[in-house]
Amino acid sequence: MNTGQVISGVAHGAVIVWSLVGGTFESEPVPFEVTEVTAVSPEEYAALTARQDPARAQSRVQSPQAPEQDSAPDLAPAADTPPEQEQPTRAGDPAPDTPPEVAEPTPPASADVADEAPALASPSEDVAVMVPETSDRPKPRPAPRVAPEPVARPERDVRQDPVRREETQPDPDAETAREEQAATAPEAAATEIVTEAENPARAAPSRSLRPRQRPGRPARDTVETDRAEDATDAAVEQALAEALDDAPEAEAPAPSGPPMTRGEKDALRVAVRQCWNVGSLGSDALRTTVVVGVTMSEDARPIRGSIRLIEARGGTGDAVRQAFGAARRAIIRCGARGYDLPAEKYARWRDIEMTFNPEKMRSK
Amino acid sequence: MTRILTLLAAMCLWAAPVAAQDDGPLRIEITEGVIEPLPIAVPDFVSDSATGAQMGRDVARVIAADLSGTGLFREIPQKAHIARITSFSSPVQFADWKAINAQALVTGAVSVDDTGKLVARFRLFDVFAGQEMGDGLQLSGTQSGWRRIAHKVADEIYTRLTGEGAYFDSRVAFVAESGPKNARAKRLAIMDYDGANVEYLSDSSSIVLAPRFSPDGDRILYTSYKTGFPRIYLLDLATMNRRALESQEGSMSFAPRFAPDGRHVVYSLTRGGNTDIYVMEIGTGDRRRLTRAPSIETAPSFSPDGERIVFESDRSGSQQLYIMPTRGGEATRISFGQGRYGTPVWSPRGDLVAFTKQSKGRFHIGVMRTDGSEERLLTASFLDEGPTWSPNGRVIMFTRETQGASGQASLYSVDITGRNLKQVPTETGASDPAWSPLND
Repeated sequence: MNTGQVISGVAHGAVIVWSLVGGTFESEPVPFEVTEVTAVSPEEYAALTARQDPARAQSRVQSPQAPEQDSAPDLAPAADTPPEQEQPTRAGDPAPDTPPEVAEPTPPASADVADEAPALASPSEDVAVMVPETSDRPKPRPAPRVAPEPVARPERDVRQDPVRREETQPDPDAETAREEQAATAPEAAATEIVTEAENPARAAPSRSLRPRQRPGRPARDTVETDRAEDATDAAVEQALAEALDDAPEAEAPAPSGPPMTRGEKDALRVAVRQCWNVGSLGSDALRTTVVVGVTMSEDARPIRGSIRLIEARGGTGDAVRQAFGAARRAIIRCGARGYDLPAEKYARWRDIEMTFNPEKMRSK
Repeated sequence: MTRILTLLAAMCLWAAPVAAQDDGPLRIEITEGVIEPLPIAVPDFVSDSATGAQMGRDVARVIAADLSGTGLFREIPQKAHIARITSFSSPVQFADWKAINAQALVTGAVSVDDTGKLVARFRLFDVFAGQEMGDGLQLSGTQSGWRRIAHKVADEIYTRLTGEGAYFDSRVAFVAESGPKNARAKRLAIMDYDGANVEYLSDSSSIVLAPRFSPDGDRILYTSYKTGFPRIYLLDLATMNRRALESQEGSMSFAPRFAPDGRHVVYSLTRGGNTDIYVMEIGTGDRRRLTRAPSIETAPSFSPDGERIVFESDRSGSQQLYIMPTRGGEATRISFGQGRYGTPVWSPRGDLVAFTKQSKGRFHIGVMRTDGSEERLLTASFLDEGPTWSPNGRVIMFTRETQGASGQASLYSVDITGRNLKQVPTETGASDPAWSPLND
């Protein structure tokens, strides 16, 4: 037996003795509550319960006595005496107004008009030309519609107009003067059809449509005052507008400057398609692709008389006419306030060819 | 060196089309638009008399209701109009109509001529283009027929704006129903497509079913239980004379429909417990059997060209749709979806078949191509059945019945796109609609 075994045996024995004697495995007694009770005799219990009997309801209730009838008050009104008032004293007759002196109108001096135009000094070649300051056109508010492609978020300082308004513009043809106002975005529109068979049943509509706001109407006196002058001006301006619209196109400047970027083209495409409404087109027109040419003015508005059909594919006759009509309405409506096009690239977008392809819209 | 020259040549080739493109106009392609009703303004038609003024208002209201009812147009309320049309020949102030976003404008006038006829004139304008769309048109008719004149004006406007065929000046034959479900009285009736001018063509002494218009709209086929068994009758609308077409003892005839030539009728005949499809020449009464299967073949409908017939059959074990040649012969199954298909009707355009489908405890009205492709369910309810096509093939009318002992049948219409589901107003309960061709 070696020393290690001895030490191990002694150590094990010590551990066994310590565990048996040292009380390591003794458990503490479970604590419990002790409640003191006292014995109660039957007589004492009866005495206790007798005090807790509920009060029994009385079957007889004393009916309240009717109050003695009051004697009716004397309602004879006393005659009112009018309050004393001071009698107004008549003031003296006012002095008659003296008519204002009216000065005789003097005819304006006739201006001498020279038949010859004043000679203008031609600027030297080195004279710098100040570019007129132009204000940015308001960006269109994104319509709350389901659109297949995301639309750029408006800038932070663009105010969202909570009230829907129709677009109005001062028109020389109109008999009445109208305040100019911008149009809000059109109503929400779906880009796909969900038939009743696909639509889950609903007990009631969740919301009602907001009624449209009636456009403001100018006061009548303004109309009558301005009517005569407006009629003449309107006739002249209308003739001018028609002449401009029908006039042969001016010599187109050769495209120059930086080309249109993809983003600028996309912005134009998004702007036009917001007004391209194919909802009323028949099935034949929805199979017709039209290429429409348009000439733009420098303020990025389409020249109405320049909108022309260049090419039509997939339809004939009435279908082409309907498809072209929808495309023309889209160009005019959304361009009424001018498209968001870079002014410095006017030569690039003066003439535009837009292809309206309704293939994707057919399946919606 | 050779590599550099090749690279330069390639760059020139790439740059050439770009430069050529820059020289031309800016080109963009638009493939996405919006689908919204077209805003249209329909002011009252002007007139030079008080009576005419009321007529002008009524005519304008019917036109506006017709157009708005399609779901393709949205009438701008008259209260929102800025300009007033006081003369038919006055120039239009387009700016006033643009201001309220009217994209189309209808102006018109009504008058009574020396013979007492009502004369209506109208013009249609594209407001934003500032142009008249087509020429002005004048229609005349009896004063009592003012609604028809209004429908015809609306038809013309609808066609000019959509390019589709017209359908407002048409009628609908149907079965008017009254009384509780277990003792329901049924009468044959006819009305304008919008529910106006209802006329009853039969009393309620016997049950009538499934009226069908002839191609020229002057006759109606229907099924009656007058003898206790279903039997097909032909009613002449001009004389109101009626006669039984099939009077074979011990047989039941039902589900009739005219051939496009108006001289033949295709129908189902049950004899000896078997139901097959027959075609009969109305003038001679000659009958020819088209199917010879032990299964049930019924609900036949001709294609517009008269070359083929679509019908329903349970020959495969469940109710499905088949197409066969008009002379009979081998039929081709076209429906393969889950559920049961019935009451097929060929579109007047010839490109679609409308049908009733029962699936998972619900009924649907749907359309599919004539080869069975592109099936689309347009409706879903407790009971939808019996579709009929509008004359232009754009709208489907059908019967919808509500659930329960107090359930009632009524007529509904839906666009073939699935939009514009709406109830057709009728005085009583109504079922089994049959759309007439366009009136002359």
